Amino acid sequence: MRTCLFLFPAILLASCAGNNERTGSEPDELSASLMLETNYIKPAAPVMVYGIEGYYTGFFEAEEFDANKNYMWSNKITVSIDSLSETTLYGHSVVAGNVRPFSGTYNRADKTWQATVSEPGDDRYDGVFTFSVHSDSLVLRGTWTANDKKLAVTKRKYQLEHRVFGYDPNIDLPEDVTYTKLYGSYNEEDESVEAITEDALRFNPSVTLLKKEDIENMYQGDLEVMRNSIYARHGYSFRNRRMRFLFDQLVDWYMPVSVNITGELTDLEKKNIDLLKRYEAHAEKYYDVFGR
Amino acid sequence: MNIAISAKKMLWWSLLLVYTFFCILMLGIVLQYIPAGPDTAFLGIKQDYIELPWYLPAFYIHVFTAILALPAGFTQFQKKLRRKHPAVHRFNGRIYVFMILLFGAPSGLVIGVYANGGVSSQIAFVLLAMLWWWFTWQAFVKAKKGLFRAHRIFMIRSFALTLSAITLRAWKYVIVAAFHPHPMDAYRIVAWLGWTLNLLIAELIIYQIRRP
Repeated sequence: MRTCLFLFPAILLASCAGNNERTGSEPDELSASLMLETNYIKPAAPVMVYGIEGYYTGFFEAEEFDANKNYMWSNKITVSIDSLSETTLYGHSVVAGNVRPFSGTYNRADKTWQATVSEPGDDRYDGVFTFSVHSDSLVLRGTWTANDKKLAVTKRKYQLEHRVFGYDPNIDLPEDVTYTKLYGSYNEEDESVEAITEDALRFNPSVTLLKKEDIENMYQGDLEVMRNSIYARHGYSFRNRRMRFLFDQLVDWYMPVSVNITGELTDLEKKNIDLLKRYEAHAEKYYDVFGR
Repeated sequence: MNIAISAKKMLWWSLLLVYTFFCILMLGIVLQYIPAGPDTAFLGIKQDYIELPWYLPAFYIHVFTAILALPAGFTQFQKKLRRKHPAVHRFNGRIYVFMILLFGAPSGLVIGVYANGGVSSQIAFVLLAMLWWWFTWQAFVKAKKGLFRAHRIFMIRSFALTLSAITLRAWKYVIVAAFHPHPMDAYRIVAWLGWTLNLLIAELIIYQIRRP
């Protein structure tokens, strides 16, 4: 499970799994990734009326932060411009397992739209987005400022590209993931980290019905990445950093658009998820203990 | 002379301590299955087989009876206890023999047919169950006939295989800690290593006994 690779990238190692900036408490890694929130109703994809509505995806990067705190420097974000009225722009953002609505005023100067929109303010991680969108290039860029100045990251910047989201079961994980060390997996005692192997790419669990023989010899991390690749294809925004880091940073096609995808999983995917979970849970509990 | 005796005693006591430790660990594994449920521990990855009407009965019989062979390690091989309290030896011996012959080994054979890890580990566990039954049966027959030297030899073999419950799991722990192998690779290795090495050691002990 743990490949002994000594002192790999300092950024990765310095930060063990801890608190999540945009969500209050982080449940333990395995159960977090097994759990899907059910109380959120996914908004329909925005319709173009004014010429700038839609999903904009890219990196949400820290600009002002407290280096002593355990923060995530970069998360993948989708900012959705849902609709506009005469005076108000409505939308929502999806990042780090958190969906937040926003609204605010806008100005238009030729093809450039400027907006300042606020999140409701009842979440610890709410803040204010200030951005501009160009209706030809469809690039959305700007900053976000936290309401709570005590957060690890109080200001982030972003430059996002307009993207249409569509579920494609046939899309595979890039080979890059096999060189990845899982976020937060550094073990101080033996200086080892948990790495992903080629096994994670052997099957596409959104297309192939898995048999126990296919996966029984796989490491827990590979099983976890396989299972979470199903969620990623549906645009699930990962709350836990272990999976979020990998999909955000290494999977180009991945875009977070929802935190509730349970209703969208196919029967084949559900069967595979169930099987993968069993082997993950077994590996988690029994792989390195006295027993079978 | 006295020092030599006490050194031997020390060795026995420490072995007994280690044995007690592992027996407690084994008891812990057995207790996981109370209350019984189809998702508990090992069964979580046996979903294909637990639908077979004979799998779960065989599994539970194995879990709850095979452990009763372990107390033999505390009583049956001590010369002093055997001489002073032969009734204890016979009583515990009967529990040991009947638990293995009627329940432990036959149920082990059934679940061995469906062992994880494919043909290699299935052969390993089936062979283990058959040898375990045969050695125990032979030991019982020899005792009945009053052939106590042969009884002893077969019991050493039988108990070596009984101990595989512990050695298999201990090897798995060591191999995983040292090499982080793929989970089923580890399982295939210990399916064989867990009892063949024990049997080899048993034969070495028997060789020592037989030497004039």
